[in-house]
Amino acid sequence: MNKQPMSLLINGETCAAEVEPGRSLLDLLREDFGLTGTKVNCLEAECGVCTVLVDGMAVNSCSTLALQCRGKSVTTIEGLSRDGHLHPLQAAFIEHGAVQCGYCIPGMIMNAKALLDEEPDPDEATIRAALAGTLCRCTGYQKIVDAVAAAARQMRAPAHQAKMAAGAGGA
Amino acid sequence: MAIEYFEPTSVAEAAALAARFGASASFIAGGTDLVIQMRRGLRHPAQLIDLQRIAGLDAIAIAGGQIRIGGLTRHRAIERHPYFRASLHALVESAEVIGGFQVRNVGTVGGNLCNASPAADLSPILLVLDATVHLAGTGGERTLPLADFLQGPGRTGRAPDELLTAVSCAVPPPASATAFIKQGRRAAMEISVVGVAALVTLAADGRCLDARIAVGAAAPQALRMPAVESVLRGAALSEAALAEAGRIAAAACAPLSDVRASAAYRRHLVRVLVPRALRRCVQRVTGVTP
Repeated sequence: MNKQPMSLLINGETCAAEVEPGRSLLDLLREDFGLTGTKVNCLEAECGVCTVLVDGMAVNSCSTLALQCRGKSVTTIEGLSRDGHLHPLQAAFIEHGAVQCGYCIPGMIMNAKALLDEEPDPDEATIRAALAGTLCRCTGYQKIVDAVAAAARQMRAPAHQAKMAAGAGGA
Repeated sequence: MAIEYFEPTSVAEAAALAARFGASASFIAGGTDLVIQMRRGLRHPAQLIDLQRIAGLDAIAIAGGQIRIGGLTRHRAIERHPYFRASLHALVESAEVIGGFQVRNVGTVGGNLCNASPAADLSPILLVLDATVHLAGTGGERTLPLADFLQGPGRTGRAPDELLTAVSCAVPPPASATAFIKQGRRAAMEISVVGVAALVTLAADGRCLDARIAVGAAAPQALRMPAVESVLRGAALSEAALAEAGRIAAAACAPLSDVRASAAYRRHLVRVLVPRALRRCVQRVTGVTP
């Protein structure tokens, strides 16, 4: 095979890989790095379940080639907690019972993280528009929206901001 | 099959690679169409030429009455552009219904047009704006009206060694407004069942100075509707005139039946959405509902 060497940042760590050009980022993350939090689902860029962040932007990792991420920074669901503390989005999803079967949740949370990084105080319509790219087949959207709104409130709170400033907070 | 992967840093280098490999190579930008087509076994490129390291192809410039959108411009950049949000509503309305955030963050204008889906969301409004496609290949640069560039499902006027470097059009005249209405089966991540783009320019007396209509997913390629436009030009845009525009458009389109909708339903949508898009334009020019 015609593998090419590449390096990229995955959850803040420099990672090297030998990659066949047709391989997806999804496949690289799961098979080479064991990051199975990112789920395989439609493989057609339709469902958003495989969403990860590339240089801070939400993308479908199934329709992104690994080599397209050479030198870029990839964040997966595994990269959100810090020092054993859940990211406010993860905590809010648990607290609001926003998880049913759970399969879409990593993609849902990564999509929500991209939204809140850009728009810290979204209204409900903005949250729904942003999450439209990730499908939940259990259709428990209301609790998901509630969880994202609650996480946004918490992340805007002075205590969280101070923790972020001190470098001890979540990603 | 082993694929070779190239990351050119200039248009000239990319065109030279494409010329060297010919039809076996494919350019890749966001990959949101191509990677899926490869996985489905519909395309088997032996070489991938990744365009994302070419600087300067993702700029949006508005100057001298002209709008120029670089071929690597992401849909999200169009959607969020202050000028488009204020003055070219249909372009924002077209960009913001392409997939979800995850697709729009990486999908490009050039990819949307070169993939040449009859349902491509950007085609109708760009046809309405009489857009020009800018191509660059080993033989130099040339331009082509978008209407000539789009030649049918998956077919364009692009030579294998040519990149779509930009799409350009004139800023709409004063007292104009645009609208795009997409009908899908769900609110997001959806391929158009029908899409209608319109531009209306009103004269001082409130009559229609100019009307332009294009319809997507209702024929093998997105189509302008000259028969509708000539009836509306100079007319008062009464409800009766708008309804007549819908009937003419429905007769002029050539929809298919497929898994998303029947031809009859698509025709019905054209008849309903053409007046709706025109009405929305008038409302945007005048600030009141006609």
